[in-house]
Amino acid sequence: MTEDENAHSEIAVMVVDDHPMWRDGVARDLDAAGFRVVATADGVAAAGRRARATTPDVVLMDMHLPDGNGADATVAVLEASPETKILVLSASAERSDVLDAIKAGATGYLVKSASAEELFDAVRATSAGQAVFTPGLAGLVLGEFRRMSSSPEPESDTRPTLTDRETEVLRLVAKGLSAKQIATRLTLSHRTVENHVQATLRKLQLANRVELTRYVIEKGL
Amino acid sequence: MPTADRVRTTLTSSDPDTPLWRASQAFRLITLVYAISYQAATVDNYVNPRLSWVLVALMAVWSGASALVLSRATLPRWQVVLADQVIVIALMASTRLVADYDWYSTRQTLPTTLWATNAVISAAILWGPRGGIASGVVMSVVSALVRDRFDLDLWSDATAPVLLSAGLALGLASNTARRSHEELRRAARSAAITEERERLARQVHDGVLQVLALVRRRGLEIGGPAAELAELAGEQEVALRVLISEQAVPRSEHPGSIVDVRALLNTQASTAVSVSTPADPVLVESHVARELAAVVATALSNVELHAGAEARAYVLLEDVDGELIVSIRDDGQGIPAGRLAAAEAEGRMGVSKSILGRVESLGGTAILDTNEGEGTEWEIRVPRAGGPA
Repeated sequence: MTEDENAHSEIAVMVVDDHPMWRDGVARDLDAAGFRVVATADGVAAAGRRARATTPDVVLMDMHLPDGNGADATVAVLEASPETKILVLSASAERSDVLDAIKAGATGYLVKSASAEELFDAVRATSAGQAVFTPGLAGLVLGEFRRMSSSPEPESDTRPTLTDRETEVLRLVAKGLSAKQIATRLTLSHRTVENHVQATLRKLQLANRVELTRYVIEKGL
Repeated sequence: MPTADRVRTTLTSSDPDTPLWRASQAFRLITLVYAISYQAATVDNYVNPRLSWVLVALMAVWSGASALVLSRATLPRWQVVLADQVIVIALMASTRLVADYDWYSTRQTLPTTLWATNAVISAAILWGPRGGIASGVVMSVVSALVRDRFDLDLWSDATAPVLLSAGLALGLASNTARRSHEELRRAARSAAITEERERLARQVHDGVLQVLALVRRRGLEIGGPAAELAELAGEQEVALRVLISEQAVPRSEHPGSIVDVRALLNTQASTAVSVSTPADPVLVESHVARELAAVVATALSNVELHAGAEARAYVLLEDVDGELIVSIRDDGQGIPAGRLAAAEAEGRMGVSKSILGRVESLGGTAILDTNEGEGTEWEIRVPRAGGPA
């Protein structure tokens, strides 16, 4: 237990949410659990500023902010502090928003109805560089790769695609299996499953950059 | 709903044919100039020049009046178009009063000439290609009667082909305008509905859902009576989400209309059921979407009944190469080997039969995978034939 708490105290967290009751509640919970809450912010601009000043390890990111959305704030935070990891914490089915934030560089997604323990685990995992996937996020990412691979644009073969194994792992995540259950079912190591999941996120972010670049070239920007 | 209202009024205030009516009135005035020039150039050959000028004046007055009325729609257009037909026929017939046989049998009708096409164009815009062709036939016949020319010498006299093709072309253009207007109206309406739904969802999210989620979380941590409150808050949170997502499904759609199957599946999400879908709409015919939703609901109700109180269920919707794959998995106690077969032998196969029957009627397949202690997993595959490619 003490070892655990020592590990937490090294993790600096920033909470971005425009709802004061939620923001302070989560900050208090994190603090009580031994995390170091270095800043809170109620909007995109504030998130960028405070990330620059405090370089948190993990940012808990709400999707609805008064001066933009979670994807905008993700971009702002990563510009100010590139080493920071972003964990999206969202209340409901704002699906394409969540996907935008993930494409912009967030590495995890958790619903707000998750228990405190699930939240702490997710912050720990995010800080350790692991991708935090809910079944919902896995469904979004699967759908996104299929959309890209079925798009008729000729450049689509330069875009990253998922390997069969990665698709298989994502499908199992989307069906609610834990990494451990997936490892058992596919006779892989736990670590390998985690690597597959992380690889899908990296590829999605890479694909996003490819799309952005093409867009910029097409529009002559 | 400011946006929805604005979109609707801008669309209904201008009817789809107005641009066509305006353009055709320009044609009317140009052909009038042609007819008057023709009159001025050839009036010396007429037997009754004075009457011919009176008729030209009539034609000019009718041109102006009908152009005004048709482009502004101050009277019902069908009245003007009907009058147009009658007046053009009468003016064509007047050729016989103005010129002698040698003249009118070898030349255009007077004083109308090219201007006669306007009757066909009006009919075509108002009544579509059939109306346009009908008017074209009538005008061609009148022209042939008046000029006593039934030899159908289309090489030297292009009146009939010109009138018929104008009637057909304008009629088709008018139909297209109406169709695309209707499509635009429908698209604008559904965009307005979506926008309104998203606005509502955002507001509910920012306030009520956040607080309910918080109450649920804190309540469960505190425990005791607070845990009961937490349960209630959790139920209301789910009910609200369902309410928001239900708005995505149009209440009364036409058979064969296209709907987003995600919206139907999302309504089944709850604290015990996770629903995963792509971020983009998954569009299929409404009956396919409804059948799939019914299959999922059946499988989920079975989970609730048999999988155990602690079981969670996961629904995954995938859209792969012309096929929809819906997986419904639960982590409950599963079905012991042999029990399904036993149930089938006793004729108690409600669940499987209902699911298999629906899926087969959609031309798909359903596979059930279960083992004692390992939950159950349905994998439903349905071709999206009928939906858009």
